[in-house]
Amino acid sequence: MGNLLKSELFKLRKDRSLWTLIIIIMASAIFYPTLIFIDNGANSATVNEFFTNTGIDGNNYIVKLVPCILAGFFISSEYSIGTMKSIGASGNHRIRIYFAKLMAFSIGAMIISLVFPIVIMAASAILFGANDLPALDYFIQTMGLTILYAAAFASIMSLFSIIFTDSGKTIGFLIIFFLLIDSLLYAFSQKFALIETIFNYSVFKLFLDISKIHLGNGALLKFLLVPIITWFVFAILGSLIFQKKEIK
Amino acid sequence: MNEYVLKTINLSKKYKLQTALNNVNLSIKKGAIYGFIGQNGAGKSTLIRLVSGLAFPTTGTIELFGKSNGTELIEARKRIGTIIEGPALYPQMTAAENLEVHRLLKGIPGKECIEKTLKLVGLQETGKKKAKNFSLGMKQRLGLAIALLGDPEFLILDEPINGLDPMGVVEIRELLKSLCQEYGITILISSHILSELHLLATHYCLIHKGELLEQLTAQELNEKCQQFLHIKVDNPNKAASVLEKELATTNFEVMPDGVIKLFAYLDEPGKVSTILTNHGLIIEQFMPMGEDLEGYFMNRIGGVNHG
Repeated sequence: MGNLLKSELFKLRKDRSLWTLIIIIMASAIFYPTLIFIDNGANSATVNEFFTNTGIDGNNYIVKLVPCILAGFFISSEYSIGTMKSIGASGNHRIRIYFAKLMAFSIGAMIISLVFPIVIMAASAILFGANDLPALDYFIQTMGLTILYAAAFASIMSLFSIIFTDSGKTIGFLIIFFLLIDSLLYAFSQKFALIETIFNYSVFKLFLDISKIHLGNGALLKFLLVPIITWFVFAILGSLIFQKKEIK
Repeated sequence: MNEYVLKTINLSKKYKLQTALNNVNLSIKKGAIYGFIGQNGAGKSTLIRLVSGLAFPTTGTIELFGKSNGTELIEARKRIGTIIEGPALYPQMTAAENLEVHRLLKGIPGKECIEKTLKLVGLQETGKKKAKNFSLGMKQRLGLAIALLGDPEFLILDEPINGLDPMGVVEIRELLKSLCQEYGITILISSHILSELHLLATHYCLIHKGELLEQLTAQELNEKCQQFLHIKVDNPNKAASVLEKELATTNFEVMPDGVIKLFAYLDEPGKVSTILTNHGLIIEQFMPMGEDLEGYFMNRIGGVNHG
């Protein structure tokens, strides 16, 4: 498992799509506060406002959509370029192969999820002055939850990536899936009580609330457990599918 | 000690409506080079994929280094190196980086093996050139380098010489021979270039329509390859009728180019040539010839009929 993970992390480090996505997100995170600064001046906003309103809330789409592209290139393309065959024939158990891939991909998704809020906070601090920074505990809470939810979404993405085994199909499906799933679950939850419960305890619903400032202990536990359970459930499902799947 | 690195016992693979492999009983002896011969769709790649663990058999058993049960079989695959359906490379990485991925995957300590393996396949000078910019021949070499990483005991190579230039073919042939002779590595190599296999293999496996037709040694093949008299005359039809009437044989074949392959009277070529000449035929070519691997294979699969 250690060897597999090292190999996957090496590939992640060398993955051009990851670095391209990070650079694009960084550029957006620098560009947006710069525009506000040029348009409205140095006193128009604070770092805290940028971090909460743009950094965290704006990050919702980044966390759910950008790793879909990475999933296509990092996971599905292994099939199209044929390298999955050498991994599959390497004498490692399929479950270990899947978990190593998922862990490396989750790390990639976590990195992507942190770039926008952190860079926008840093950029706005430089432009608007570091007077009104977010509280440290709030910063840790939101960033910690962000990476947990990014990992949970990564686990879902990984499952579909090994089903489709084609980067184009994977990216297309995942983007549509993550764009629509909230609305679909919400619509069905209005009609079916069971789906309402599932939706309320799903990563899709809870993720929208991670920027709430004072989460009680019970709520915090729910916010922590749901993504962790989601990660494991989809990881196990994915590994079972991968175990039964022939590598072409 | 196990004499065989690989044994398949009644191995079958069926897809919905198609039988890709049917009760294949294959035995690969340690330290030999096996030429794996079959047409496209004969089942070569399916068998290689089953042995490598990429596909699962419908029925039958695979025994690799004497291990056939689930976990042991998976672990045994650590002792093999593969090229399956062409070299599998990361196009954005250099040759060394591609090997690094597999070095980490196989848990090989130290990076010295990368340079050593690149040198072995003649790719030590590629530097920062990315694999996507390699020629097909260079990609094949890199695929072979990946398969060789970690000193495997058994190499399974699916079309490893495709795209290599003549010099490259010779180099890879010599490399594979030396790996077998000096390090005792067993090699199973499939290729459409049968003349090349003939120069390399010590054993052959012939597969057709999912069934293993035959396994034989190079020596047995040489003994079995059919000998004939190659005759080219000015009037092949007349010559055919002369052979039938005067020599009372139909054991010959008239090829589309007019050449007659006579499979009888191999010990009496003088008699044949005299009779043909006496009937006013002008002999343009007359020589004893032997069937090659390609001819033998074509015969085995029923591609050529002799009179």
